[in-house]
Amino acid sequence: MKNYILGRLVRSIISIFLVVTIAILMVYTLVPRDNVFQNDQMLSKLASKPDEKVRYKYNAWERLGYLEFVDQREMCESASDNVSACMIVNSPESLAVKAEYEAKGWTVESFQQSGLLYAHKDKSVFSLVTTWFGRLIKVDNPWAITDSGNPNLERKIYLGSDHNGVPALKCSGCENKYLIYFDGSFPFIHQNIISLNFGISYPTFNGREVGAVITEGQGNPKQSQVKFETGQTISSPVNLHKCKYKSAATMDSMDQKKFVDNYANCANNLSDPSMVVMSFIFGVLGLIISYGIGLPAGILMASQKDKLADKIGIVYINFMIAVPSLAFIYFAKFLGNSAGLPEKFPTFGAHDIRSYILPTIILGLMSTASLMIWIRRYMIDQSSADYVKFARAKGLSQREIFVKHILRNAIIPIVNGIPSSIILTISGAVITETVFAIPGMGKMLPDAITGFNNPMIIALTFIFTTLSILSLLLGDILVTFVDPRIQLEAKGGSR
Amino acid sequence: MQDERFTFVTIDSSASEHIAAPHYSYWRSVAKKFFSSKVTIFVLIVCSIIILMSAIHPMISHYRPDYMPHVNDFTMRYIRPCLEYPFGTDNVGNSLFDAVWAGTRNSLTIAFIATTITTVLGVIVGAFWGYSKKMDKIMIEIYNVVANVPFTLLVIILMYVLGRGFWQLVFALSVTSWLGTAYFIRIQVMIIRDREYNLASRCLGTPTPRIILHNILPYLISVIVTSVARDVPSFISYEVFLSYLGIGLGANTASLGNMISSYAVYMKSTPYLFWIPVAISAIISVSLYVIGQSLADAADPRTHM
Repeated sequence: MKNYILGRLVRSIISIFLVVTIAILMVYTLVPRDNVFQNDQMLSKLASKPDEKVRYKYNAWERLGYLEFVDQREMCESASDNVSACMIVNSPESLAVKAEYEAKGWTVESFQQSGLLYAHKDKSVFSLVTTWFGRLIKVDNPWAITDSGNPNLERKIYLGSDHNGVPALKCSGCENKYLIYFDGSFPFIHQNIISLNFGISYPTFNGREVGAVITEGQGNPKQSQVKFETGQTISSPVNLHKCKYKSAATMDSMDQKKFVDNYANCANNLSDPSMVVMSFIFGVLGLIISYGIGLPAGILMASQKDKLADKIGIVYINFMIAVPSLAFIYFAKFLGNSAGLPEKFPTFGAHDIRSYILPTIILGLMSTASLMIWIRRYMIDQSSADYVKFARAKGLSQREIFVKHILRNAIIPIVNGIPSSIILTISGAVITETVFAIPGMGKMLPDAITGFNNPMIIALTFIFTTLSILSLLLGDILVTFVDPRIQLEAKGGSR
Repeated sequence: MQDERFTFVTIDSSASEHIAAPHYSYWRSVAKKFFSSKVTIFVLIVCSIIILMSAIHPMISHYRPDYMPHVNDFTMRYIRPCLEYPFGTDNVGNSLFDAVWAGTRNSLTIAFIATTITTVLGVIVGAFWGYSKKMDKIMIEIYNVVANVPFTLLVIILMYVLGRGFWQLVFALSVTSWLGTAYFIRIQVMIIRDREYNLASRCLGTPTPRIILHNILPYLISVIVTSVARDVPSFISYEVFLSYLGIGLGANTASLGNMISSYAVYMKSTPYLFWIPVAISAIISVSLYVIGQSLADAADPRTHM
């Protein structure tokens, strides 16, 4: 069993690696790189300044990881002794620098207006992939911060207590002040040690980290009374658990009033849940509805096989499978609107239960059909098994046979699918979220595609693939617990 | 025992007919079973009308979304369904009737091409995959990598990379979906592969391709038809879904998805603009699905007795 899981894990990691690599290769080589500027307002503003425009474009590409870009100042500073002479257009020093960069494989061009040089070099496909995976996992450690303004920064990890007096693992010298802390929100224990770094989002959510866009809260800052370390209590939205290091040069007097150390760069508490949590809420509510309706309905169909209930169920299943989901969603939305439910999620926002009713019902109903098919199929298959005949011969009642024998065996394959359906709710329901304008993960992918947000697309590919692979593994393991007869390892002897 | 107690009989060819198994033609039985249901016949008629309309009408109307002859004529806009414009007109004065059939044609063509590729490739690869253990070792690893990736994610990424367009969409839809069909066929082949008659056939030296073609594939017809019946509506659904998100067919290609997407804003003001394409796409999917299911039932020889 251990060997099997280890083998599966290794294969899963290889799969994830392959898929993400292929995605990076395709996105970065096949999509024209000028596409990233399609929705960028900045470029039209810079239309009258060609130099600025070129610089803006190359800086953006550099941030996205397409290439490396240097302007004449950087070229001169790294390659020439006489920087001021080198900065003059067409001076011998600048020509020497130009020749040097060209020899190293850079493409050197000059700005249209000023005539100054700039150089760029495309990153190889290999380095694109290694950079992406190289920076993916970030471990916070006491040597993470180097701040010239604060040379005496202590470097230690220690047990302390937070502003509420609850014990927490704190750090000095790390990027985050709290490494492990407890608070009142699910899952109650939080860590800041290991984080995933997917790069910086561009052009949508410009400048924010991709991971932060997905996992941080949304909406307006939520004010509350916060007692700072200096003893000051003021109304503020900051979350003291999420304080990061702020360099000594940027600390102002306001910060010094509130904080005793340099950890003053705190995230705000926001009113609405993050995209991940939002999709999770909708998904889990939808799952409860779909299992709540699908399982009993499937069981009823199996017990009433070829009778009216079964026939109605089959018509329903065929209808749900055949009708395009978009058509079904709009139809259900139309019915819901007539009943007075809001048309879009933002109409009433995240704090009104009416915003949740219609999307969760739609999500739930959409997955009932396959659940009903399978539970009915498994139960009918089981009911012709020998042990059922034996149980009947022993004189057990039909009901007893059904509940205690057939259902228990038929539910096993269903159990296999439960972890994946729970985990995959995080990836969201693309159409439902788009139709209702729910700010969740499902809407993120189409939005990233239409916004040409390459870092976001790669990150979402990684997240969705990882979730899907891990949930399949989890489902297989769960089945062995439910049914001890199932062995995951292949035993010899079968052809 | 004396010879005179026996009489010679002449060979009576008509009598031999009675002794032999009753006359049975597979395809005739399939047809008989298929046309025995009134619902199926009704759905078949509806489906044929839609397919014929979508094949013929665009040739007469020459509809293109980017050609708007009445764009400046405000009286032509939002005409409710009437005799001249059976489905009304849209925001630029184009007849929705023309648009719907042109769109249906594109959506159907995509679904049919993608299904053909998926089925042909899937069945051929799946048959060999299920039969050969060497191939199984390689293919199962490839399948494990591809099947782990959510299909929606894959199609969306491919459409982003390849750009919007007809053949791009066909490619994105069929590039990995054949693996699913192949896997499905593999399991069926593995079940049948080791039956006694195949063992006997192998002992007699029948080559593998012949065993697959003559011994195994005939068993799979109903399974294949089931998979086709599932694929066509799901590809139509995908076209609608992708075009709705703005990453399917280009805006200048008529399609049901593009129509639903662009008319969604008129759901309140001029509902017919939105609901007619939605209804057509639902009718096509449902009728193709029902026909496929009945055909799969009819193709299963066990239902013929």
